[in-house]
Amino acid sequence: MAAPAPVIRSKPLIVRHLPYFVAAAILVALAAGMQFDGYVLNILMQATTFSIAVFGLSVVLGLCGQINLAQAAFFGFGAYAVGLGTADLHMSYWLCLLAGCLAALVAGAFLGMSTLRLGGHYLAMVTISFQQIVTLVMINAIWLTHGPDGVSNIGRPALFSTSQGYLAFCVAVLAIVGYIVWHLPDTKLGRAMRAVRDNELAAGVNGIDVFRTKIYAFGICAVLGGLAGGLFAGGFAYISPDQFSFADSIVFLTMSLLGGVASPIGSAIGTGLLILIPEWLRFLKSVPGLYLAIYGLFVILIIRFMPDGIWGFVANIFERWRAKTQAPAAVKPLLLKPAMVGGDIVLEVRGLSKHFGGLKAVDGVDIAVRRGGVHALIGPNGSGKTTTLNVLSGLYKATSGSIMLDGTDITNMPPHQRTAAGLGRTFQNIRLFRSMTALENVEIGAERRGNTMVGQGGDAALTERAMEALTFVGLGHRANELITSFSYGHQRLIEIARALAGNPTLLLLDEPAAGLNSTEKLELHELLKRIAAQGLTILIIDHDMTLVSEAAQHITVLNFGRRIADGESMAVLRHPDVVSAYLGSE
Amino acid sequence: MKLTRRDFAAGLAAGLAAPYIIKSARAEGAATIKIGMCAPVTGPAAESGRYAIQGAKIALEAVNKAGGILGKQAELVIEDDQTTNPGIVLAFSKLAAQPDIVAFLGSIRSTQVHAMAPDVLKLGKPVMIGGTDPNLTHMGNQWLFRFRPNDSYSGRVIAEYGVNTLGKKKWAILHSTDAFGTAGGKALAAALEKLGCPAVLDQGYANQSQDFTPVVLAIKQSGADILGSYFTFENDLGIFARQLRQLGVNIPWVGSPSIVNITALKLAGPALYNTFGVADYAEDSSDAAKAFGKAYRDVVKVAPDNQSSWTYDAVSVLSAAINKAGSTDPAKIREAILATKKFPGAEGEYNFDQNGDGLHGYNIVKNDKGNIVFDKHIEFTD
Amino acid sequence: MDLVLQLLFTGIGIGAVYALVALGFVLIFRATNVVNFAQGEFSMVAAYLMVVFAVDLGWPYWLSFLIALGGMALLGVIFNLGVYYPLRHRSFLPVIIATIGASILLANSVLAIYGPQPQVLQGWFETPGIQLGPVYLDSQYLLIIAVTIALVIFNYWFFEHTLLGKKLQATSQDKEMASLLGISVSTMIMITFIYSAVLGGLAGILVAPVLFVSIQMGSTIALKAFAATIIGGFGDVAGAIIGGLALGVIETFGAAYISVPYKDGFAFLVLIAFLVFRPQGIFGERVAEKA
Repeated sequence: MAAPAPVIRSKPLIVRHLPYFVAAAILVALAAGMQFDGYVLNILMQATTFSIAVFGLSVVLGLCGQINLAQAAFFGFGAYAVGLGTADLHMSYWLCLLAGCLAALVAGAFLGMSTLRLGGHYLAMVTISFQQIVTLVMINAIWLTHGPDGVSNIGRPALFSTSQGYLAFCVAVLAIVGYIVWHLPDTKLGRAMRAVRDNELAAGVNGIDVFRTKIYAFGICAVLGGLAGGLFAGGFAYISPDQFSFADSIVFLTMSLLGGVASPIGSAIGTGLLILIPEWLRFLKSVPGLYLAIYGLFVILIIRFMPDGIWGFVANIFERWRAKTQAPAAVKPLLLKPAMVGGDIVLEVRGLSKHFGGLKAVDGVDIAVRRGGVHALIGPNGSGKTTTLNVLSGLYKATSGSIMLDGTDITNMPPHQRTAAGLGRTFQNIRLFRSMTALENVEIGAERRGNTMVGQGGDAALTERAMEALTFVGLGHRANELITSFSYGHQRLIEIARALAGNPTLLLLDEPAAGLNSTEKLELHELLKRIAAQGLTILIIDHDMTLVSEAAQHITVLNFGRRIADGESMAVLRHPDVVSAYLGSE
Repeated sequence: MKLTRRDFAAGLAAGLAAPYIIKSARAEGAATIKIGMCAPVTGPAAESGRYAIQGAKIALEAVNKAGGILGKQAELVIEDDQTTNPGIVLAFSKLAAQPDIVAFLGSIRSTQVHAMAPDVLKLGKPVMIGGTDPNLTHMGNQWLFRFRPNDSYSGRVIAEYGVNTLGKKKWAILHSTDAFGTAGGKALAAALEKLGCPAVLDQGYANQSQDFTPVVLAIKQSGADILGSYFTFENDLGIFARQLRQLGVNIPWVGSPSIVNITALKLAGPALYNTFGVADYAEDSSDAAKAFGKAYRDVVKVAPDNQSSWTYDAVSVLSAAINKAGSTDPAKIREAILATKKFPGAEGEYNFDQNGDGLHGYNIVKNDKGNIVFDKHIEFTD
Repeated sequence: MDLVLQLLFTGIGIGAVYALVALGFVLIFRATNVVNFAQGEFSMVAAYLMVVFAVDLGWPYWLSFLIALGGMALLGVIFNLGVYYPLRHRSFLPVIIATIGASILLANSVLAIYGPQPQVLQGWFETPGIQLGPVYLDSQYLLIIAVTIALVIFNYWFFEHTLLGKKLQATSQDKEMASLLGISVSTMIMITFIYSAVLGGLAGILVAPVLFVSIQMGSTIALKAFAATIIGGFGDVAGAIIGGLALGVIETFGAAYISVPYKDGFAFLVLIAFLVFRPQGIFGERVAEKA
């Protein structure tokens, strides 16, 4: 046996990232000490503050996959808070900056809430509308915002009253925010965001509160926008509504995409370039419109040829040179300790119905799954099996009936709460988080709220647990590979490992044998035996009669949304109704 | 040709490097006096930017023919302000970074002047402006010098003309909700209040409106017998004018300078016949104005308007002031500009006050079947 | 009452403009699932083409009109090949950004070639309008409304009763299935782009005499048309028309009775209300499944 848990990072984070802080400190010192003329200073000030706003976009868009075309509005919230606060109310700069961030946060969370029902183009349109309304208010609410005149004589903190001092302060903020955004993907929240981006459905059934994660992403994005706006207002001492228009939101978005949406480094690169390129192209100014036309052309070309942005392009080249990270060494065997709160019946479904309009996909079904066994749910195509499973895991809302999991009524819970209550599941068409490694996928499973096997849920414990689960399904040695490099059968195993890592009370397997070859099916069967041996209850849906008849002790049969048979495996399979309804139609 | 990713990356790198190569290839010019100018070469006001540059160039040519500034030839260094506030801040700071520029021409847009004002104060060199927000010269920034009458005058002139010359007392005010329109509308409302006939309707509208029917109907319903207006963009003015006439409103109309602007005349056509406008520039108002008109027509081939006359005057007054000061020291130039009295400019007679305002009155002109005819000049001394 | 009638006519007129542009949005969206942010610039380019041929070169109006629409068809082809086609396998986001890039490119290319001055384009009719009792009917708005109605009928006939229309429908509903049936999906998408560029161009040419020809003319209308599209239910032709008309009327009455400066805000408030309470739009159950 190898030494346990070499996965745990050897040096504290702060020490490993010392070079970053040293470089940041040098930049801050340069900003404070070097002699810039006004032009360079203004460019740097703009680039620094804009970068922070673009970091916000890299969180909401890059990490969480949600579009935000209103970043300039959030930027404006911060700017106006600082502008109006210091110029009109003569309040402390710091207080104003804080107020601006809070205002942006509230607005961002509000916008995030609209994601409850909307995605894609709709979300784009909501954010555009929000942006337009904010602009109209800035222009027309003259009593508050001074209207189109804008706000002048904006103050700065006494500590950074010189332009260069203030720039140094902004660079310092940029460095800190950059550090946080850089590490966000490796935190629990960051993983949740990536999971939501990769596969919203799977994120939900793995215990991630999708809705709240999106609100957090929007909130963070908005706060960074507000912070950047506050810094901007102090830097330029004058703001007016036309600096926070829809066009500026588009500029922010383009900056983010140009540099590479997924990383703060990309954001900084994109911001810098989009501030500098129009400046450089000014020599084309003899023909009005020409340089903006070229700018537009560049946007198209970059999207076409550098889909991951400039940084993504560069990072890909580095990736090829860098040696593959070694998989962490083997670990302790996986321990499954399913909770035992309720009685003998782990899952009790009573009178469950799911109607789509007039179609009764599931109609008054009762299921009782005994603790510790393998229970199978079978039926011909269209019999309502998968609908039942989706109602059980919360993807559909039940029309009527009740679902009790280990003594808890989960009928009306959203997916992530069912997961917290002890439900784990896999999907017929595999739903893994495709931009992540196998280990990261399983870590998200291990993060299940209520998982008693990971102590306080620290990073090290999660990684250890995830490694155990991966080793359990036989893929521990490939933990650090991206999902896309695994075969179909192995992806299925990873999905099972992801569910197991959370130490569920009940494991739902949706056609686990679908698409597997005969060797893989055999392996799957062995795996199920090993899982069942540790006392975890399994509810399995499958077409594969060999697997079902050998693995399951108990079978429920559905046809046309109704239960037609239920009982001990062999008896049910010989039941004449089942033979005619199910096997007859095979 | 098939463009690969690598080709594109190489092209991108070359594209980014090119400006530097071009910049370093540009040789330094001979010893000249440099005047910086921020003008909207691109963006929504690009059109007026072109006129402004022409006006300044014509004046500069005249100055150079007459011996230049301090015996040297004068040169204009133009930066694009993109018609935006951040744009003018960058454009100005780029100009400000060149130490051999002695003075600047700012913007005709008040918000842009507001945006660049902190940098102007920091730099401490004279900047000629055309923005007409009265505050600009009253906010303690001693380096701004205005070459157009400010909005408190335009409002007073419109009110004065409508009430005392046309004899109308029930006013409707229509103004755009941008900085220019809001300030103008406010000034007009205040002037009417003073004359004892407060407006019966004070209506704002957002720029780039596609339709003015509700506004026209509101004017119709208010029972107003005269209309005073502040429009920013000519296409808004054109749409409004046409709808106003179509819906049968034919009350007298006295508008801000944009109403007699050549683009507006072209767009609105007969809908603007018989309207009055305040104009800082009216070709027939003085000999100096006529002279500028002729020079401008010779070069640009179209009729001049206030977009070009103020930059023309700014360069003329500035050059004379530097020559009088005998030095390019900013403080001395400032004193010389403020000491400028009875200077005959295209826009009128310049008598600078201590705030930096050069003009204190407006011309009233009439649109006579598409021709702009000078009516009278109204000057205030307070 | 007179007031209401006049407002109603104007609202429907301006709404018909939104509806025309919205139609172009919908067609592209249905075929490709992409929102084309350059749709407004299509209108602008067509209006400038009219100025070039009908005003500057003084060619007959109808000939210039045909040339302008031909030019738009060509622009549709270039747009598809240059902007959409290379990105067709990517998610919607890069495509959105590319169309935004295209809109910046088109607007500023026209600015570079034609200069910033707004231009005048005369309307189809000599008479500017008719006084019908208390209501003044602008002849150009009458024409726009008529064309909108005609297009609704034409679209219905085209998509429901012609083979090409049905092929286009099939493509927009299920690309894989369509290609299995032997329909060339890329040809269908090409036709869609051509058609919607021509439609956008038509809207631009029709609206130019009312709003004048300027660089910004397209973008303002397009944003509203986009809102109209969503209110109508994305992907629904009838919905886009109704949405556009509704938006025009709401805006006009909102300006008359609530606030003129906030006029542009009404469209977006209505939109947010719709998105929150009825995200599938007025029509459109189908969209919810697509999303």
